[in-house]
Amino acid sequence: MSTLSAHILDEIRELPAKYPQHRSAVMPALDLAQEELGHLTPEAMSEVAAALQLDPGYVEGVATFYTLFHLQPVGKHRFYVCTNLSCMLRGANEIVEGVKRATGLSEPGEVSKDGLFSYEEVECLGACEYAPVARLDRRYEKDLTPARIDSLVNDRRLPRRYQRAAARAETDAAKPAPARRRAATTKKKKSG
Amino acid sequence: MAEQRGTVGGPVLTEWFSKRNLHKLAVYESLGGYSALRKVLGEMTPAQVIDEVKMSGLRGRGGADFPTATKWSFVPKDHPGPKYIVVNADESEPGSAKDRYLLENSPHALVEGAAIAAFAIGGHTAWVYIRGEYDLPYEMLRDAIAEARRKGYLGERPFGIDYPLDMRLYRGHGAYICGEETALLESLEGKRAQPRSRPPFPALKGAWGMPTAVNNVETLSTVPWIIRHGGAEYAKRGTEKAKGTRMVTVSGDVQKPGNYEIEIGITYRDIIEGLAGGALPGRKIKVFWPGGSSAKVLPASMLDTSTDLDGLKALGTMGGSGGIIVMDDSHCVVKAAARLVRFYAFESCGKCTPCRVGTNWAVRTFDRILANEGSQLELDLLDRIQQGVQGGRCLCGLGDSAGFVIQSTMARFRNEYEEHCLQHTCSVEGALAHA
Repeated sequence: MSTLSAHILDEIRELPAKYPQHRSAVMPALDLAQEELGHLTPEAMSEVAAALQLDPGYVEGVATFYTLFHLQPVGKHRFYVCTNLSCMLRGANEIVEGVKRATGLSEPGEVSKDGLFSYEEVECLGACEYAPVARLDRRYEKDLTPARIDSLVNDRRLPRRYQRAAARAETDAAKPAPARRRAATTKKKKSG
Repeated sequence: MAEQRGTVGGPVLTEWFSKRNLHKLAVYESLGGYSALRKVLGEMTPAQVIDEVKMSGLRGRGGADFPTATKWSFVPKDHPGPKYIVVNADESEPGSAKDRYLLENSPHALVEGAAIAAFAIGGHTAWVYIRGEYDLPYEMLRDAIAEARRKGYLGERPFGIDYPLDMRLYRGHGAYICGEETALLESLEGKRAQPRSRPPFPALKGAWGMPTAVNNVETLSTVPWIIRHGGAEYAKRGTEKAKGTRMVTVSGDVQKPGNYEIEIGITYRDIIEGLAGGALPGRKIKVFWPGGSSAKVLPASMLDTSTDLDGLKALGTMGGSGGIIVMDDSHCVVKAAARLVRFYAFESCGKCTPCRVGTNWAVRTFDRILANEGSQLELDLLDRIQQGVQGGRCLCGLGDSAGFVIQSTMARFRNEYEEHCLQHTCSVEGALAHA
């Protein structure tokens, strides 16, 4: 039983024909795998390698080079917050703090308990006239303020009834500490 | 259509930017778009196209400033196999956003320009390598190419002429180094993006081992205008040696950040205080990067410096990719330099030792300085590191760029470095709370 579904593997096998040399298909193929799984597991990379008739180590070497390939789980909504100079001069650090506060995350790469959010501090996004900027859900959020971050996060939270169900499931799974912390965070959001 | 923060209705590149739906082929064509490609295919030889662009004096706008026509003429005419135009749309230089601005407003200008370039080198395919974070520009370009194909302007017989032309897209995945042309080619071939040693140059052995000319988005977007109006008309603008107009992105501590089309030769004061509205209320401009973070800084006392590319070279800096980053007196130069050096260390591909080791060494040194652990030793170390990463010791200029940041900020703002290292204070941003 493979990690990647059959139709994705079929799609990957068809990629090499689009390029003058088959190796060029490796990044589009990893894209498809990542889109299906959220991040690239070792098994997924091996399956991509097999489908493209490449060495698994080679595929992993490519995947580890580029920042847009995720080797660890990521949130459903990812903040890529630019912290390079142009954004830094216009308050990027406050934006990072705002993302942490709004999502309850404490460090880049961490995923919120509900699986909804993660964030990364990234290099120049090439939208310096709108600094500070972040990329979220495949679009650029411009002229950011901490208040705008709050509303971006709130818009993406689950409806409350699902949140309660998720919290119960977590308690049932005998993880009282994170569940409590999350409940507290949620409450703070509401009052704030 | 994106919100426009920059020039609309400028002389060349942004000429039609005030028109609604310029990204649609019908609108672009109604204004005169694709007449250049039609003319090139129907009436001109590749040599004539190269001559016209040579007459314009157009130089590469990606940062290297190399004459475009010369680059095209290096591609061998008698090569039997495929030849490629590769469009460098991997804009990632800190402070530079102008290619994104062009793509979001006028993607057909790039499609047309790249097609003309492909014809000029005797090739049939242009590959666009576009950075992965550029979702909207990617979609706009993809749709523009699809429209051009449907209309028959790309394909087997563009405009009914027997010269197949096609354009293909390849998305990057987050690596600054891909802006370097040989690293870009490696990436396009599905490899880790590490620069190649030259020779062979891409003109002889580029994408997939075939003769290739790598051109920047802005450079190619200028080409249709040059064909429509003639190279001589383009060359009327600019300075004696640096012809034409170019895009600059102004960002940082200014009132009106934006992407502006300027005639080469105006001063940085014209741009920063004129177009970008000058400093924020109550503040004074302290320093600016004239051409992306890789250009050596100039202090505010040099705002009257011309944007003439050769003049900037003579000053030891460059117009680069046009990213003008402005910083005012409320910000600390050491902190800014530390941030940029961290960028270069993170983006170093690791292939060449001086860059890999030197940039990371510099990061650790800056960390100590900003943690109030600096001393004369750190000052001396930074100086040694910046010398060590410069001087063409590596396959590409990334390490040199990190060296430029350290060297130029230390030379111009030695006082701030000494304050940090010797007195453990920062009179600019106050007490050093954290790095």
